[in-house]
Amino acid sequence: MKTKLAVLGLLLLGGCAGLDPAPQCDMGLIASQRELVPGPAMVPGWSSPLKEMPMNSVSITETTLLHKLHVRAIDARRTGTGTVEVLAQVVNCTDFPQNAEARTQFFDDTQVPSEPASAWAHLHLPPHTTVTYQELSIGAKSVEGYMIEMRETK
Amino acid sequence: MRRLFRLSVLAAAGLALAACQQRVDNAVGSPTTYIDPATRGPVKGVGIESQDIIGMTDQMMRDMLAQPRLASAAAAPNVIIDSEYFHNESSSRLNKNSITDRLRVSLNRAAQGRMSFVGRNYADMVAKERELKRQGVVDHATQPGARAPKGGDYRLGGRITSLDARDPKTGMAQRYNQIIFEMVDLETSEIVWSGISEFAKAAQDDIIYR
Repeated sequence: MKTKLAVLGLLLLGGCAGLDPAPQCDMGLIASQRELVPGPAMVPGWSSPLKEMPMNSVSITETTLLHKLHVRAIDARRTGTGTVEVLAQVVNCTDFPQNAEARTQFFDDTQVPSEPASAWAHLHLPPHTTVTYQELSIGAKSVEGYMIEMRETK
Repeated sequence: MRRLFRLSVLAAAGLALAACQQRVDNAVGSPTTYIDPATRGPVKGVGIESQDIIGMTDQMMRDMLAQPRLASAAAAPNVIIDSEYFHNESSSRLNKNSITDRLRVSLNRAAQGRMSFVGRNYADMVAKERELKRQGVVDHATQPGARAPKGGDYRLGGRITSLDARDPKTGMAQRYNQIIFEMVDLETSEIVWSGISEFAKAAQDDIIYR
């Protein structure tokens, strides 16, 4: 009887050991899915020496944060006055609270900055939670694209 | 003889050491450097700092421009943004004008005709000039005269409050800062737009804000 109970206990323990809090991030898959694109060419017909994140995405600028956070989704929509609101859902993949800050640069249809970049906004990410970063543009019709930059708060 | 030699060596070393101690430390000092006001600098405490002012005013400016009542009305509303009704009730020592001035200037530059800005804080200056023109002391300048200075449709109000806590054992200080911004209809008292910026900071550094 005692042996059976011990076996049952071990089985239960084994089952519990594999249960980690969600969301869980497959950093290998995240890294493999990231594709950098060439930056704008200085001279027409020449290839740019710059590789960057594609337009309408989040660029995490620090290696430390790159392996801790994952951008789950990005969305953009027009407000009632025609300005653009961007929303980025950021997941903290770690077991620890993380502090980050983000800003957005909005671009016109020729991929030229249409206005000054927004101020850095703080994001406090408790462990294994999703926080939404939100930013609004100044311009209305002039905005056609955006780039969000994210770094660690120091 | 050997003893005398040792003594003289010791005396020479002592003299050299004494000379070292009196020498001028001829090293370059810490240079004055420009730092990014939108990022925390080397001197940081629990109060409202430059990066907080830039962050909150940028956020409020963008939010106001997304409100149809303020930024896409048929006639651009006349707004007054100054510190007259913006009160600091917090324990942070700061010039509240640095918040309202930055908000007004950035909003005025960004609005591009979507709002019209009234400089109520310059009312005295305008009144004096109008009086001189009407008395004939000065000419009427190039712009057509106005029957009266512009009235405001909306005016900024707000409040800064804080909540302080200190751990006497460690000396660690913590402050929750809350800053509210409201645009008030100057005919009906209706609050047509509200914004809030709140953050808490903890620090052990002995920082004095002046």
